[in-house]
Amino acid sequence: MDPLTLSMWGITLVLTGIALVKNKEKTFQSMKKSKGMMSNMLGSIVSIILLIGFVLTLIPPATIEQVLGSSNQVVASIVAAIVGSITLIPAFVAFPLVGSLVDAGASIVPGVAFLTTLTMVGVVTFPLEKQEFGTKFALTRNGISFVFALIIAIGMGVIL
Amino acid sequence: MKILNFLKQNKFLSLVLLAYLVSFILQPQFATQAFGNSSYYFIEMIQIMPMIFLLTVVIDVLIPKKVIIKHLGEGSGFKGSILALVLGSISAGPIYAAFPVSKLLLKKGASIGNIVIILSAWAVVKVPMLANEVKFLGAEFMGTRWILTVISIFMMGTIVSTIVKKEDLPSGESSPELVVINQSYCVGCSLCENMGPNLFEMIDGKATVKQQPLVPKQMAAVKNIAKKCPVNAILVPDNASQLPEGVA
Repeated sequence: MDPLTLSMWGITLVLTGIALVKNKEKTFQSMKKSKGMMSNMLGSIVSIILLIGFVLTLIPPATIEQVLGSSNQVVASIVAAIVGSITLIPAFVAFPLVGSLVDAGASIVPGVAFLTTLTMVGVVTFPLEKQEFGTKFALTRNGISFVFALIIAIGMGVIL
Repeated sequence: MKILNFLKQNKFLSLVLLAYLVSFILQPQFATQAFGNSSYYFIEMIQIMPMIFLLTVVIDVLIPKKVIIKHLGEGSGFKGSILALVLGSISAGPIYAAFPVSKLLLKKGASIGNIVIILSAWAVVKVPMLANEVKFLGAEFMGTRWILTVISIFMMGTIVSTIVKKEDLPSGESSPELVVINQSYCVGCSLCENMGPNLFEMIDGKATVKQQPLVPKQMAAVKNIAKKCPVNAILVPDNASQLPEGVA
């Protein structure tokens, strides 16, 4: 576990203790409620995880590297944003990947587009987001995130 | 039959499992590798989700609705956006871990714009991720991307909240003021029918509510009766929403 997760765990446990002391009955009642909500999501979360593994095998990091390093910047950026949207790879894989490309002289725009959609736009998490927040919310949030990811990428290209 | 029903209710899971099955038949190696690739995320989920569970409980118990409305609600303004950004940035876990917390905050009065900020910040601008970014891409790269991202996140919050209104969100949990009887708990003692013959009736040995929705006066009577139910099978709206799908 990374330090942030660990400290979050610590804080959460302390707060749970406080909640229990303050209002035991309400805490247990709330746990029941939360259990219902979480068990509704669990099936989708397991599906998401299995799907991530599937997509990662279908589009391995080597392929992503090829896309990001392609010579046509506009196409590369859009494809990178799409690939970032449908994959969900951990940051400790994504940053070195983009880093090595930039070091090798590739443009940063596709790299940034990829990094941003990677985390902000979730095609694999879409079914769960839709289930919990509705189709309109999920579509709007992901769509706008995609557009902004491209804007951020272009902005980075202009500034740096 | 039970399995078939389960798969019907979990279409997403069924599709993924089908994809695995097909690939396993055609290319067993691919399926094994895909499953292997998932293992990292399974570990991550096991580390995070119990904490998210406790976190939603803590927020629910310790933070009154009033406070959430004031600091994250429609009228919370720029201060609310900053708070949402900080909340998202200091949390741990993948974006799906943000869903239960966001949903609860939304239910307790947070605005849609601020929920978008929390979700986006949760996904993108986390502290350990920033450190990682500095290591591989340099501080200038990280700093510029952070500033641009934060500006974007704020704008996204505003844009999404003008397009999506609270009415567009699934109401499922909060709005229907219906009394639910947990059929698997009900032992058919008919106590509720005796106490409120115009409210409850027994059908096939299980209690059912005669007519819904109830007027407030009836609701009060039902609440009283619900307390007397020996197996707590009568769920009045406050706790009726806790029911997982399919129980009612």
